[in-house]
Amino acid sequence: MGLLTSLKSSISRATTSLFAGSEPKRIGIYGPPNAGKTTLANRIARDWTGDAVGPESHVPHETRRARRKENVEIKRNGKSVTIDVVDTPGVTTKVDYKEFLEHDIEKEDAVRRSREATEGVAEAMHWLREDVDGVIYVLDSAEDPFTQVNTMLIGIIESQNLPVLIFANKIDLEDSNVQRIANAFPQHETVPLSALEGENMDEVYDKIAEYFG
Amino acid sequence: MPHQCTGCGHTFEDGSKEMLSGCPQCGGNKFQFHPKGWSEDGDDSIATDSNASAASDTSTPDNAPSPRDLTESDPSRTERSSVAQTVGRATTKVRDFVASDPKKPPKPDAEWPDDWESSVSSSDDASSSSRSPPSDSPAGSNPTASSAEQGVNDNIEEDDDDIIDADARRESAEEPDIPKENAAQASARTDVVSPDELDQTASEEPDESTAIEGRIDTDSYASTADSSTVPDSPSNGEVVSEPTGEEPDLAELRAQLNDQFESIKILEPGQYELNLMELYDREEYIIALQENGRYVIQVPEQWIGDDLDDR
Repeated sequence: MGLLTSLKSSISRATTSLFAGSEPKRIGIYGPPNAGKTTLANRIARDWTGDAVGPESHVPHETRRARRKENVEIKRNGKSVTIDVVDTPGVTTKVDYKEFLEHDIEKEDAVRRSREATEGVAEAMHWLREDVDGVIYVLDSAEDPFTQVNTMLIGIIESQNLPVLIFANKIDLEDSNVQRIANAFPQHETVPLSALEGENMDEVYDKIAEYFG
Repeated sequence: MPHQCTGCGHTFEDGSKEMLSGCPQCGGNKFQFHPKGWSEDGDDSIATDSNASAASDTSTPDNAPSPRDLTESDPSRTERSSVAQTVGRATTKVRDFVASDPKKPPKPDAEWPDDWESSVSSSDDASSSSRSPPSDSPAGSNPTASSAEQGVNDNIEEDDDDIIDADARRESAEEPDIPKENAAQASARTDVVSPDELDQTASEEPDESTAIEGRIDTDSYASTADSSTVPDSPSNGEVVSEPTGEEPDLAELRAQLNDQFESIKILEPGQYELNLMELYDREEYIIALQENGRYVIQVPEQWIGDDLDDR
């Protein structure tokens, strides 16, 4: 499993050379498809490293392999927090190629995309089991948060005792309802933001430093 | 022609009932399922590959290994996985039944083949891998009379054993060296759900339903084996999608079963249902799905290696 092992090796290399024992926490960005996970990952990576993580799109399942940005150093209040940001494919219980046909994708490509998306979900679930130290759970605040996927994933994250932040994304949208998300998961802190517009990113980084530092 | 006899090449339409009692031409009981759009010249490699692996009866890990092959190579996980298989298969059946619209007339031809397909293909995988462990299970023993007796004995034992044995017996019924299956084996393979069982299943608590089905499977197998009567297999098979009319529990039952079926269910190419808990719980890691319904997995022992740049 090259992706994981090479990640592990590069982490251990980075650890020995740069951090002398203080391994950066791997923070997985999880959530349903089209919640804005990659947009957020790109926003974080661009703000602190200058590079992007991966392509964003309006078509669900644009991210079909977990991508990570290592050693993202976030400076807050004179402190510095270093994390590895892992952008994961959107988690869902159903993948149907027909969904992609609406986005002007040919059938053959749509079928392949849905197969890759399915593999991506499997990969994301696997990472959740073994390879993340904390979770940023991204939700589209214009969508109903009470879904099977959200409940199940939050449940899994809780059972792992992973620190988790709920990000209510897309507050720039008219239908955005942050309170609905806060009510859905009252046991966790909900941070409103627009990763696309860069709204409220200061609080986002404060919370990341606080939770994952 | 979705189903093809691996012995003589005779093909059957999707939903055909002839094949339920073995191939009418050669009596073989192994069938290769070809998805829609498959053509003899178009996809020869897949068919050849599957036939070869089925015929050689050895599970070679690099030859498109099924998750079951790999899982069962670890003896400590054999029991869990065969339970999971049985539960997975049983729940798929019940789920398909639940999924059928009770208002429409029963559609045996539409609902059955899915079960049949999965049953046949998974047995192919399982029968090859079930040979490697020592013969402490019925799968390793003589699949005719002795396994039937074994089944009766196991009946008295606890439920978990019954599930495993019922499954193993279904595997042994698929043993390729037996030219013609006897009546009991045909029954074990086709006599999956009878109307009574369906009623019982629908009215029971959802979490018990799979265990019950496993038991009933064993019971019916043992009884038909003892009496040596010829069961009316096709009619038994038909009732799988017959509605019972007990709708109130069905939503709950379906929700429960959704949590239980296999980690990734391929409805058709490009359409997948995923069981997140199952995906999360698995130690092995599905890295590549293939169009022919197989998928490639990576087991932990393999990726914790020193080959760091193998991608």
